[in-house]
Amino acid sequence: MLISGACVPAISEGLELSVVRVGKSYGATVALEQADINLRAGEVHSLLGENGAGKSTLVRILAGAVVPDCGVMHLHGAPYRPMSITEARDQQVSTAFQELSLVPNLSVAQNLLLPRIPKSVFFISSAAETMRRASSMLARYDLERIDPAIEVSSLPLADRQRLEIVRALENAGRVLILDEPTASLAETDWLFGQIGSATDRGVAVLYISHRLAEVREICQRATVLRNGRTIATVSLKEASNDDIFEMMVGRRDDHVRKHASSALKDAAPRLSVKSLSNGVLVDASFNVRPGEILAVAALEGQGQRSLFRCLAGLEPAKSGSIEIDSREHSISSPRKALKAGSGIAYLPEERKTEGILAGLSAATNIVVPILSTISTARLVGQNAEAEAAGPEGAKVELSERYLSFAIGDLSGGNQQKALIARTLATGARTLLLFDPTRGVDVGTKQAIYSAIRAFAASGGSVLFYSSELPEIVQLADRCMVLYQGKIVETFEGSAIDEQGLVAAMIGHRATARLRAMQ
Amino acid sequence: MTSRSQNTSYIAVPDKRGNAKVSRETISAVSVAVLCVVILLGSRFISPSLGSWSQVETVLTLGSFLVVLSFGQGLVILSGGLDLSLPALITLGGVLSTAWVGAGNPDALFLLPLVLVGCGLVGSFTAVGVVWLKVPPFIMSMATSIMVASATLGMTNGTTRGAAPELLTDLMKSQIAGVPASILLLLAFVFFGWVLQARSVFGRHVYAVGTNDQAARIAGIPVTLTQFLPYVISAVCAGFVGMMLVGYSNGATLRMGDNYLLPSIAAVVIGGSSILGGRGTFLGTVGGAILLTTLGTVISAIGLNFGLRTIIEGSIILIALLVLRDEFFERLRAFRRP
Repeated sequence: MLISGACVPAISEGLELSVVRVGKSYGATVALEQADINLRAGEVHSLLGENGAGKSTLVRILAGAVVPDCGVMHLHGAPYRPMSITEARDQQVSTAFQELSLVPNLSVAQNLLLPRIPKSVFFISSAAETMRRASSMLARYDLERIDPAIEVSSLPLADRQRLEIVRALENAGRVLILDEPTASLAETDWLFGQIGSATDRGVAVLYISHRLAEVREICQRATVLRNGRTIATVSLKEASNDDIFEMMVGRRDDHVRKHASSALKDAAPRLSVKSLSNGVLVDASFNVRPGEILAVAALEGQGQRSLFRCLAGLEPAKSGSIEIDSREHSISSPRKALKAGSGIAYLPEERKTEGILAGLSAATNIVVPILSTISTARLVGQNAEAEAAGPEGAKVELSERYLSFAIGDLSGGNQQKALIARTLATGARTLLLFDPTRGVDVGTKQAIYSAIRAFAASGGSVLFYSSELPEIVQLADRCMVLYQGKIVETFEGSAIDEQGLVAAMIGHRATARLRAMQ
Repeated sequence: MTSRSQNTSYIAVPDKRGNAKVSRETISAVSVAVLCVVILLGSRFISPSLGSWSQVETVLTLGSFLVVLSFGQGLVILSGGLDLSLPALITLGGVLSTAWVGAGNPDALFLLPLVLVGCGLVGSFTAVGVVWLKVPPFIMSMATSIMVASATLGMTNGTTRGAAPELLTDLMKSQIAGVPASILLLLAFVFFGWVLQARSVFGRHVYAVGTNDQAARIAGIPVTLTQFLPYVISAVCAGFVGMMLVGYSNGATLRMGDNYLLPSIAAVVIGGSSILGGRGTFLGTVGGAILLTTLGTVISAIGLNFGLRTIIEGSIILIALLVLRDEFFERLRAFRRP
């Protein structure tokens, strides 16, 4: 059977956890409307869906962090309705959360044993016993190299994620839930090994990840959520990537590959940056032509942040000049950037803290930089805002009905769409997009890509940084690589490929050229 | 995957998850209004003279002081600040309009707008400290308050001179077509305030800056100006309240603003605004101000002393703060569902 709908398969299939018609609302928004999922003992089951499809809500319900409004859950045939994470754990359902739940200023050992730290006389926790148990636990999961005595905050992110997983493994007798377990793990061997030995013990594993390749490698079945509902449960062997994409997004992937560049080669540059230095950034010079999409590729902290913040008017440049349409401008604030010549609009890196205005509607969020323009005698109503925001939202496929929602209640993907719509709404002819698809799902990504392409095709210039190389390969007409604050190499057109970019990003080419010069 | 025809069924599932119809601002505004009516009608049981139309008129007239005052306070709070200098500015506005203009001096009426300009300058002084020098709002406005109060004391040598200009007594005491002018003034002000806060570009900017000034700056909003103006508006409103009080009570005293600080904040909070800024409506604040005034008149009508009134006011603010937390609304919504 490929598609099992809402009905519950027979218990005889080794059914461990069954969830029927579960729903949950958070204040203004219904996060989960009707979810059904069945986990079998010993299987690795994937939960797929776009951002905002309801995955995290379902996970939080299963983990006991959230109590559902409606629906029935059964664990190994008995009713399952945990009121807290501890209660879920007592019934051997354990979760490794995406936003790690470790206490940073406690030791590794204390974190592993919480909430049951061994007591000695007078209820004082026994440090020696805690240490002993923690090291045996670490040994059992092949992590002897981690010292149980050190503080969690001093560990690298990857090891903290491993600890979170170990703690979940230790308590997962029946069901193990892993929410984006590879978000900060570079290699998956250790994790997959641990999952394998858990399933050998008959544990049902629910595996949530955005990376489809990984899901295919380890999972047998997948349940797809969309708009808060279970769309289908499929066998991964028999479903193609296109099928899954369609179930997640509601339409086929149009397979947009490398497009024809719309850059006007002979036109004067729209944005011309001359020996700009600031912070890590040293002596950066480059041009962006009308209609061109210029990408910046770099590892973390190579000066890309300084570059974007400088051009956006958030940091003063130490030296160098910025010319827009061949006229020099001093950009001392984002407001000035918008007004400089044909205008520069900036999409900030941190959506939550620098982007959205949480309590205001999505429509207000989109038109907030141009309120004066859409106002009549400095007055502006909700209708005027929705009217002005609608077309901009449509460019990024933001559904019209979200316009009246408080933006803080929308999913991350929709928030990002609204913020991109905001930069488009400003009418600026140059966009600075810092990681425009950070943490958004495939459907939203495609919508954002088409919006960027359409903007360039209409003669706009785009400078964007991305932490995802396939995105750069797909989108960019040209790509500069920053390494230690310098532009070490620029790729153009079909010469942009992942291998070449990686080599330049890790400084390989720069050092090779230096050696050749000597 | 099987056939295409089966696939299309995935596409047909629409996103039916909806937005909750009522926002927390609406809930609090409506409950405040209901509470006002309940208290007014309920007070009939205490004394038959209460709950009459004339009492409603009294409440609206007395409430108009608080409405005007808490409009300014509300804007400042919405932008993420707090203004503790209002009592001093009320006194300043009152004292200056009796001293500079006084009774029987129609030629000097042009000085009344000048008094408001003076109050606005005092507000800019507070704003400079808060916005540019980054002094915490409550310290800066407290400092302004002390300076203004001392200056007023020094100016008057302890006794206020002059009487209320006729224009102001007319404003507060005459009737137009059988309706007290003060109530018409109140209605006009409420409309003006609502337009400025809810329907103007400036109002939107204040919401944005109060929500997150960093994000507002990146979005290209003039953050400095938007943080600056509410203090000026608030000071002008307080000065105007001083004039209204002069018209109402036929003179100024050096302590005429003292009892208005806590109520000006209370009205804003009871009306459903966040004390941290970025959330709230002016109509809610109006409801809060009327509710506080209603309570005040009922308390004094049944002869409770002033101390008790302050205690009740304090408790109401506390309850409002507790009740207006988001978790409470969450629970309220969850409760309605089976």
